[in-house]
Amino acid sequence: MSGGARLENANPLIFQRTGERLQTANDEDEDVADPIDDREIFDILSVSINDPEHPLSLEELNVVEQVRVRVNDQENTVGVEFTPTIPHCSMATLIGLSIKVKLLRSLPERFKIDVHITPGTHASEDAVNKQLADKERVAAALENSQLLEVVNQCLISNARTG
Amino acid sequence: MAAGSALLVGLVEEFVSGQQDSKAADTATGLKAGQFTILQLVEALGLHLASSQPQTRARGVQLLSNVLQQCHGDLTEREVDVLLAFYENRLKDHYVITPHVLKGMKALTKCSVLPPGSAVSILKSLFQDVHVQSLMLVERSCVYNILTQLMESRESELKGLGADFVFGFVQSVDGERDPRNLLLAFQIARKIIHGGYDLGKFTEELFEVTSCYFPIDFSPPPNDPHGITQEELILALRAVLTGTPRFAEFLLPLIIEKLDSDVQSAKVDSLQTLTACASVYEHKELAEFLPGLWASLRREVFQTASERVESAGLAALGALTACISRSVLNSDSEDYLNVFLDLVLKDCQHHLCEPDLKLVWPSAKLLQATSTASYRASHRVAAAIMPSLIEQYNSRTQVSHTSQLGHSISVSVDARQAVRQRCLTALAAVSSRPSVVQESTPVLLQVLTFSHTGMCTGSFSLEEVISVCHNLQRIAEHAQDTEETGRVFHDIIIPRLLGLALQAAMRDHPSPLVEESVLSAMVPVISTTCARLQSQLAGQTASRAVSLFLDGDMSFLPENAFPSQIQLLKQAGDSWRQSQMVCLLMGCVCSLPRSVEVPQMDRLLLELEELSCTCDHPFSYTSAAKCYAGLVNKRPAGESSSPVAKALLLRYHPLSTALTDKLFSLLSDSELGSLAADGFSLLMSDSPDVLNRGCNADVRIMYRQRFFTENSAKLVQGFNSAAQVLFILLPLLLEALSCPDQAVQLSTLSCLQPVLMDPPSALITHAKTLIFTQRFFCLSLSLSSQKVRIASLRCIHALSRFPEHEVRLGPGLVLRALAVPLDDLKRMVRNEAVVARNEWFLLGSPGGR
Repeated sequence: MSGGARLENANPLIFQRTGERLQTANDEDEDVADPIDDREIFDILSVSINDPEHPLSLEELNVVEQVRVRVNDQENTVGVEFTPTIPHCSMATLIGLSIKVKLLRSLPERFKIDVHITPGTHASEDAVNKQLADKERVAAALENSQLLEVVNQCLISNARTG
Repeated sequence: MAAGSALLVGLVEEFVSGQQDSKAADTATGLKAGQFTILQLVEALGLHLASSQPQTRARGVQLLSNVLQQCHGDLTEREVDVLLAFYENRLKDHYVITPHVLKGMKALTKCSVLPPGSAVSILKSLFQDVHVQSLMLVERSCVYNILTQLMESRESELKGLGADFVFGFVQSVDGERDPRNLLLAFQIARKIIHGGYDLGKFTEELFEVTSCYFPIDFSPPPNDPHGITQEELILALRAVLTGTPRFAEFLLPLIIEKLDSDVQSAKVDSLQTLTACASVYEHKELAEFLPGLWASLRREVFQTASERVESAGLAALGALTACISRSVLNSDSEDYLNVFLDLVLKDCQHHLCEPDLKLVWPSAKLLQATSTASYRASHRVAAAIMPSLIEQYNSRTQVSHTSQLGHSISVSVDARQAVRQRCLTALAAVSSRPSVVQESTPVLLQVLTFSHTGMCTGSFSLEEVISVCHNLQRIAEHAQDTEETGRVFHDIIIPRLLGLALQAAMRDHPSPLVEESVLSAMVPVISTTCARLQSQLAGQTASRAVSLFLDGDMSFLPENAFPSQIQLLKQAGDSWRQSQMVCLLMGCVCSLPRSVEVPQMDRLLLELEELSCTCDHPFSYTSAAKCYAGLVNKRPAGESSSPVAKALLLRYHPLSTALTDKLFSLLSDSELGSLAADGFSLLMSDSPDVLNRGCNADVRIMYRQRFFTENSAKLVQGFNSAAQVLFILLPLLLEALSCPDQAVQLSTLSCLQPVLMDPPSALITHAKTLIFTQRFFCLSLSLSSQKVRIASLRCIHALSRFPEHEVRLGPGLVLRALAVPLDDLKRMVRNEAVVARNEWFLLGSPGGR
């Protein structure tokens, strides 16, 4: 958890987690290719990114929702809209960055990743979106070890039994 | 000596006038008794010898000659001298007297006291005054006998006659018809040639007077009392004709001419004569006739319907080749042998490749004849035809003839090793049909025998012997499974192999057949045979082998020169040469088809167990153990010990668990630990000679997987024991990961992952973990099944707990490698990859672990 003693959003709304994805027969079949779908991206993001302030996942905070994840496997595009918990959330950039980093680390290189704030949910969404869209900016940010540390802490997975 | 002379006169009268032939004997007796001398006899005969009646004169001479026949040994030189003068003179007399004169002369020539110069004068008179061919048969014989006698006793004197002697002889013989006389004449001629008599300018005459009888065509009359055969005459004449190179220029055209004859015996005689003279002649005699001779020989072999003619022709060709091979090369002359062989190859080589098979065999035989004649020839012929033969084999045309050729070439045992090797290999390659197998396998066996007895000049190396065994095995593997082939292998080859090996084992002197590598090469020959060829005969082989090894029964071995008591399954002192033969037993009993039972199984197992435990010769006890294991595997139920564990494992016998537990417990033992690990290796590896499907062994599927699944906990325990155990087990696990069986891979990965999650310190520092990482990555690729990919990714994830590892691998390497499974076809795999990769990102990163 970063920085300051006071939390911005002391009592966030908690949403229920969706259950584990059900497996289908096709999943077992060696020869059938499973396309990368929205749910998959959602699962990548939801379980293992924690909110910087709370020991809760982004899913639980409804920062990410499955409906706001769009992936096109054929066209190698992923679009994620995230909704900061409060309109003036100063963590928005950090959250967005974490999402972006997570996707960068978890998706094949062919994908073009677009992460932006759900329109109308943040005061500085344009500015944040611009930062998140700027590759070089993102790369530079990740070279900042302090920033990286924070991002990593968000991304440390919970104990996963594998 | 009045009484003597009175007696003499009486005898003479009675003989000459009274026509009493018996008086001759009395006269001889009287002479011998010393009652009168020979010259007194001559004097007493004086009147009759001077008679105007030729018959009377003849009678007188007859008496004298008869007496001389009896008494020639008692004469003095002076007497002989006088008598000879008389007889020579009498040659000019009436023809009715001549027979008696000749008889008397013949007697005189036998005298050892023949004065010097008499031989010459006798012959001169003979040749001058007697026309031999006008005489009757007996008289002619007489003349030949005189010649023979004089040649025997007065050789140097006759040689002094020079060429006149030969001329005289030629005149005497010219036109002779009687076979007995011809034999005599041929013998004289032979003596003339071999005795070094000067032929002068009468060489051709001598040749002509004898060669006119060639080829001999003689049918003895029925009830012939003299018993002269055509064969005798042929041989006698041949000795003359082939006796000297000086006849070459006449003989060779004659032979070529007579080869044209329709009469078979004439052809054969010509060919045999050619063979005989080739051994005497040199290249220079043959040179101008070679093309003609070759054309005739080729024609005879190509066109013949007779085996006699063919074999005579081939022998002649061989002799010619040998003769030319002997020729000494000058630096500026061409290589005569090559010139000749070029001629032969030009006419024969292309036939070998033609689809028209008619000329293949004759061509092959001709080439065979030349190649067996000399080392140089064999080399040249082999080098010329082997490439095309091998090429032809590869293009799968009719190849039975090539085996014949290969056979012959390899039989010329002085051939250089490389040529021999190629021939033997080619031989093996073409030997799939039964008839070919019967031709080719004796050759290979012969090589083995020679190598053992050391019988040939170019001795065989170990590699060659092993290669022969490989070739035999190849034949066994590819030959058609017919009764013929089966018999060749079971009744000839296997007993011979066992016999040779036993001989080598019993003797003290070095032989390649006691080397481990050679025996190991023999085993597959036997095992392939038993597995593949004629199961009934295989059963017989097994019985024989068991009797040999258990009871010392050697009755089926080809040579029975062995000591009566042998005990091959007992090792005492230095008898490793015998005990190591157990590997051959293994070949006989461990590869049999399921339907065949091994006799005396219990006893065999008992003895093998003992041998494997008590023997100290490694190859022997290992072979015994393998044999034991192979036998146990085929039993419905049985006891067990070390490699037996594998046998049981393969059949998944309940007892195997106890065994493997024991092995596990031994792992931590400081002394036996490595042996136990070796035991595991043996358990898990494919043994080529005993326990696999190729040997009809009972292989339950997935035995390795079962092993790992059931024992993974123990393996993990093993890891947690001393580092040494780890060291031993890691290679095993690595091997398991490399095993193509996905079930095995999965079990191994599954059992490794928890260990990696919580690794003992010894594992972290172990160098092999790097290899494991590589292996994991291999397994994470799409070639493996989904489950294996997932399991390997989990292991890679687990490795992220190894800080040292990251240092060795470099920061970006794993991450880049993990990028690949991120795009895996299957979601569940991708999930694992995501988890693993994200963990690795956190390694060494600020805020991470």
